[in-house]
Amino acid sequence: MRKFYSVIIWSVLLTILPGYLWAQGQRITGRVTSAQDGQTLPGVNIVVKGTTNGVSTDANGAYSIVIPNGNATLVFTSIGLNTQEVAVGNRSVVNVIMQEALNELSQVVVTGYNTTQRKDITGSIASISSEKFKDIPVTSLDQALQGQAAGVQVTQSSGTPGGGLTVRVRGNTSISASNRPLFIVDGVQVQNGSLTTGYGGQNDNALALLNPNDIESIQVLKDASAKAIYGSRAANGVVLITTKRGKANQKTTITADVQRGLTDIVKRPSLLNSTQLLDLQREAVTNAGQDPDKLGLIKGVTDGVNTNWLDMILRKGVYQQYQVSAQGGTDRTRFYLSGNYRDEEGVLLNNRFSRMSGTMTIDHNATAKLSFGSNITVSRAVNKRVLGDNALNGVYSGATRSLPYYAPYNEQGQLYGPSDANYAGFPNFNPVGEAVLPRQNVLTTKMLGGVYVQYEFLPNLRFRSKASIDYNSIIEDIYDPTGTAVGGYDTSVGQQGYGEYNTSLAATFTSTNTLTYNTLINEKHRISALGGVEVIKRTNRSGSTIGKYFPSNDFTYITSAGVVNAGSSALVYSGLFSGFGEVKYDYKEKYLVTATGRYDGSSRFGPNRQFGFFPSGSVAWRISEEEFLSKTSFLNDLKVRASYGFTGNEQIGNFLFLGTWAATTYSGSSGLGPAALANPNLQWERTREANVGIDASFFNGRLSATLDAYDNLTDKLLFNQPIPLTSGFGAVQGNIGKISNKGIELTITTVNIDSKGLRWSTDLNLSRNENKVVELATTEPLFAGYQASGATATNVVLPGQPLGTFWGLKFLGVDPATGNAIYDDKNGDGRITPDDAQVIGNAQPKLFGGFTNRLSYKGFDLSVFFQFSYGNHVMNLTKQTSVNTGSSLNFNQSTDALKRWQKEGDITSVPRYIYENTYNNYLSSRFVEDGSYVRLKNVTLGYNVPKTWVSKVKLSGIRVFASATNIWTFTKYSGPDPELSTLDGSTTAQGIDFNTLPQVKNMMVGLTATF
Amino acid sequence: MKSYITCFILTLTVLTSCKDVLEPTPYDIRIDDLTLKTAADAPLVRIGLYSAFRAMTSSVVIAGDFTADNIKHNGTFTSYQEFGTKQITSTNADVATFWAGVYQTNYVANFILERLPNVVSGITSDSRKTLTAEARFLRGLANFYGVYTFGDIPLVTTTDQATNRNIARSPKATVLAAVLADYQAALADLPDDSSTGAAYLSKRVVQAALARYYLYQKNWAQAETYATQVISSGKFTLVPDYNTIVNVNFTAESIFEVGYTQNDDPGTLNTLFVSRREVIPSDQIVIALNSTESGTRVATIAFNVAQQQGNDNGWTVKKYGTAIEGNANIVVFRLAEMYLIRAEARAQLGKLVGANSAVEDLTVLRTRAKAVAVTAAAQADVLLAIERERQYELAFEGHRWYDLVRTGRAQAVMSAFSPNWSSRFEVWPIPQSEILRNPALQGAQNPGY
Repeated sequence: MRKFYSVIIWSVLLTILPGYLWAQGQRITGRVTSAQDGQTLPGVNIVVKGTTNGVSTDANGAYSIVIPNGNATLVFTSIGLNTQEVAVGNRSVVNVIMQEALNELSQVVVTGYNTTQRKDITGSIASISSEKFKDIPVTSLDQALQGQAAGVQVTQSSGTPGGGLTVRVRGNTSISASNRPLFIVDGVQVQNGSLTTGYGGQNDNALALLNPNDIESIQVLKDASAKAIYGSRAANGVVLITTKRGKANQKTTITADVQRGLTDIVKRPSLLNSTQLLDLQREAVTNAGQDPDKLGLIKGVTDGVNTNWLDMILRKGVYQQYQVSAQGGTDRTRFYLSGNYRDEEGVLLNNRFSRMSGTMTIDHNATAKLSFGSNITVSRAVNKRVLGDNALNGVYSGATRSLPYYAPYNEQGQLYGPSDANYAGFPNFNPVGEAVLPRQNVLTTKMLGGVYVQYEFLPNLRFRSKASIDYNSIIEDIYDPTGTAVGGYDTSVGQQGYGEYNTSLAATFTSTNTLTYNTLINEKHRISALGGVEVIKRTNRSGSTIGKYFPSNDFTYITSAGVVNAGSSALVYSGLFSGFGEVKYDYKEKYLVTATGRYDGSSRFGPNRQFGFFPSGSVAWRISEEEFLSKTSFLNDLKVRASYGFTGNEQIGNFLFLGTWAATTYSGSSGLGPAALANPNLQWERTREANVGIDASFFNGRLSATLDAYDNLTDKLLFNQPIPLTSGFGAVQGNIGKISNKGIELTITTVNIDSKGLRWSTDLNLSRNENKVVELATTEPLFAGYQASGATATNVVLPGQPLGTFWGLKFLGVDPATGNAIYDDKNGDGRITPDDAQVIGNAQPKLFGGFTNRLSYKGFDLSVFFQFSYGNHVMNLTKQTSVNTGSSLNFNQSTDALKRWQKEGDITSVPRYIYENTYNNYLSSRFVEDGSYVRLKNVTLGYNVPKTWVSKVKLSGIRVFASATNIWTFTKYSGPDPELSTLDGSTTAQGIDFNTLPQVKNMMVGLTATF
Repeated sequence: MKSYITCFILTLTVLTSCKDVLEPTPYDIRIDDLTLKTAADAPLVRIGLYSAFRAMTSSVVIAGDFTADNIKHNGTFTSYQEFGTKQITSTNADVATFWAGVYQTNYVANFILERLPNVVSGITSDSRKTLTAEARFLRGLANFYGVYTFGDIPLVTTTDQATNRNIARSPKATVLAAVLADYQAALADLPDDSSTGAAYLSKRVVQAALARYYLYQKNWAQAETYATQVISSGKFTLVPDYNTIVNVNFTAESIFEVGYTQNDDPGTLNTLFVSRREVIPSDQIVIALNSTESGTRVATIAFNVAQQQGNDNGWTVKKYGTAIEGNANIVVFRLAEMYLIRAEARAQLGKLVGANSAVEDLTVLRTRAKAVAVTAAAQADVLLAIERERQYELAFEGHRWYDLVRTGRAQAVMSAFSPNWSSRFEVWPIPQSEILRNPALQGAQNPGY
């Protein structure tokens, strides 16, 4: 078989490449050094131009190559350096000094299953090198994307360590299927999103299991041309992560890195003290015509205790991270090893995220044709969680709501439990007890490993086969003792403790086989082709056990439970079977064309629609290569490009196309009950994407800019379509509706000063995305988010509006005569009802981006990174509790309540407080605020200790640095922090602040030593 | 075809079966087309049928007691606030839940009635007849509750989706005729007694349902006949202590009762009444149950002084405990109701006092409750005594609202209870979502909603 291939390919080659004859030639040697510091450069690739004849420099930067004749040109390439072409002439020693690449044009970029040089890209790809986030103490790699790439919007849902983030590439494409991008680490799809649920909106994050310090670079694929190779998984964008690997002929370097710091909440909400609250409550009761004394609101008695609950549950957290890594290589074997320990205390008592991880990567060239390698990452995280905001018994939320009249401890120093006579009862639970008493540990183990083998049948015809597994094991170990709401208050739980033990396993096996071929014909026509097949098999196992009625709080595992009445186990397989291909052609690197496609079969769709084809095409024209521009010396590169294609989304549950019956029980017997209706036509969501872009580079790369504009339309939206209940069912999974995303993105990189050792560079990225629901196949208003008083829900999905639209009454102000809220009577019926609710804002920003300045001078480096969002609204639902106009006396109030209307003529935006009156507290635009912000995301000051000192202690480098994250935020938002989302991961209800834990700031110092 | 060729080619290259990846075995679910193809599934879908019916029984309690004067709202959920303040709207979540319960029961029943005839072997004719009868009876009972809750309702007789997604309301009389046909067919084929207790159907259950059916139809003679058949069957006896009714599952007087265990108890009513105290007994029912006429039936509710503050009268409904407490079941028919049906039928037929009279039947219940004797003698007084007796005996078992509406007393009683009461609340609204989704229901809302 192999021989047969060889014959065919050889004949093809012989036909199209008649000019190539290999001849014994002359040997050239030399040394490659860096222009910056004069150091020798190992691992630089040297190729004889127009051939595949190549070598690389050894640990001392030396090389030796045989060239066919004296007219040869050598091409020197290395990542991060400007590619140089050197005519050999009649020299036999060619020493070369290489410049650091400013314009990144020659940078090698990973594009799906292949790599290319940045200048040859025809699609839209954003690259982020690890340099950009190495000094920011990010827990997870998705956090590292924030503010770094145009078109990539990252919102951290809260200040919980290891917590959930929302990552959106060019907007939301789906209402009910996932909108998270596809994350690929070294070619393998990895688990993302939350691993466990049930902590009141504040989820955890599977990506926090990977150590960001092992990342070399991240590419975000944004348009159809770049993404279509990932077909049905690509609609939400693709994030490609390349991890660090050893380089050929690299001297072994060992790097040790230590970081230690403190975390603290960015800002605290401002709440009333006992006396202020008592005055307010008495006023509210009096306004309702009742006697406050009779309700127990007695001056000098009720406010005898004044507890600042936030002080009771907040702390400064200790952050520490230690990493040791080693990398190096010979001409045949390369390796990278690292070990990392990270420990981050949350700002809430008892909250802590710690992770240990180790990575080993080996690449080996067995022969000139055969190479293989493997990479293994193992990590283990322990997440000690506390209950989040969307729970009455949450910790931070409980502290913001608890009445200052009560204390957490009694005179004996013991915590008050629920239904204690001296403690405010339901809906208040002692937040200190809710923090310190429960055990809520999530223990996760991740194994990400793969092996590959590569064989070069012919020069430039490579076969590569890779098999990988992403294995995630999750153990959730919970015990709520009797002092907590769950274990001691809820009668249905039994009030004698509550234990849960959940395990789950998410494993993805990926097998990829690709064949790549590239050639250059007549030094003009370059063709590169790639074809491949891929199998992805996913296994999801889960099990859980619940125990109640524990003998005492000394017995906290389910072995001791009096009643073990709920348990489950489940196993689900799913998979993809795919073929894909890509052909690129360019003429003199001037006119470039790419065609990409993937044919995917998915187990998630019905037999009628199991397979889908996702094609794309793109063209680019490097105008700067044209004769007429060759004399414009200030212009280095100018490329225009356009792409068009289709991608899909298959991120829904399994077996949804089937009509099914599931196990059911009755009076102790088990049987079968109807579960779902069949839809054999269920299929992928499809996104049609069009993109145009310009890449330009001026003044020797000191100014480069990329501008992209796109127009995407997603149709066949996966949606659980409501149907009449007379059918016996409430909904059937269908494909209905359309969503459009249009936007524009700009990235500018400049080197403002580069002389006499002083270098100042600036990165700016700006993005605008307009999201709109174009069509929905249901006339029913589709509500989302929370149910709310006075309007049906906090969010709505409406044609013509973006996803994340806020819904409620329109607040027109406070009547100076009565102090009551005035709402817009939209339907003019003279009454204020939920029918008067309307669109009152949306969570999507009009503009977002990042702005980074870097300065370096004689060993010092300073980086200042701003990140911002403009034009987004936040629904401050916290205020419906904390400025509740007297509707309930159970909750503490914000100092904003001091601005309330008190007497006729008062002009204010806070209505009068009247006990048990909900009218003034209806869900309205009173709670919708401008959530725009500019945040000083990070400032890092570093110093490289001079080599002369360092070498005395037998080190090759020492860098000390101090880094501060989230230290300053400019915003008009009245809550503590505008960057949040109580419903982490939600698409239809983003940007709601509901007593959500604000972000944390981190101040740390670090030291990096290289041996 | 193209797909299969692709699959074949892919399979050759990666040495993994295409089918293996793309058509994984589903665990824990059964594909619709394969369900009830063989006799082995018959006992399984039977459980599914009972389970579907069971899901609607808590809705019946909510309709029967929450719509009437038995509760007041004490929690935070909007839908119960609407019941408490008598401002029920067509978007009320519990209204849609009730509607869903009716049609989920209909779906499973119709599924059995359509598929079972095609199962040719492996099932005895007795089993086939029993399962068919069970499907017809529970379909009939679901529609009975549906029609008295919503008025005219769509009559669903098939599992065909196209038909059922575009189906108009049938007149109440048509639905009731279908209910009667289902009951009568079931009466013929069900066994005399359920061998597995009150959780499953027998002829007695159908007789009890017919007694209630004729009572609602004001066919007093038939109501008396069927109630007598159940009472004199000797299969059921009144428990001596009313506390047993409140605190124990499957009592000796239970005719049909849906069963929960710790594994499947959703705790719907326990959550509303006990855990959250979302609704509490109204002041009126607290007074009524504490009266001398009520006697030991005050055990239905309990008082806790710590909870008495503001709006909260401190009383809690005790009839629905947790499964571990052994009283999570919901009773559909019990013997006491048969006495009350017979008493009402006899009173209407003029048999007021003496042997085989209304008062004699009432006295049975009063005696058990250690309450004062019945003093009424005139027909109107006896009927009012029966109305009160039903309230004492059957409080929070889903009867009060249906009773007041069928006797024409709703307007008088409820107007006195709540200023918001309107005659439109004699039926519930059709769920708003159904009107939006089902074209045949457009413009077909009940008057006043």
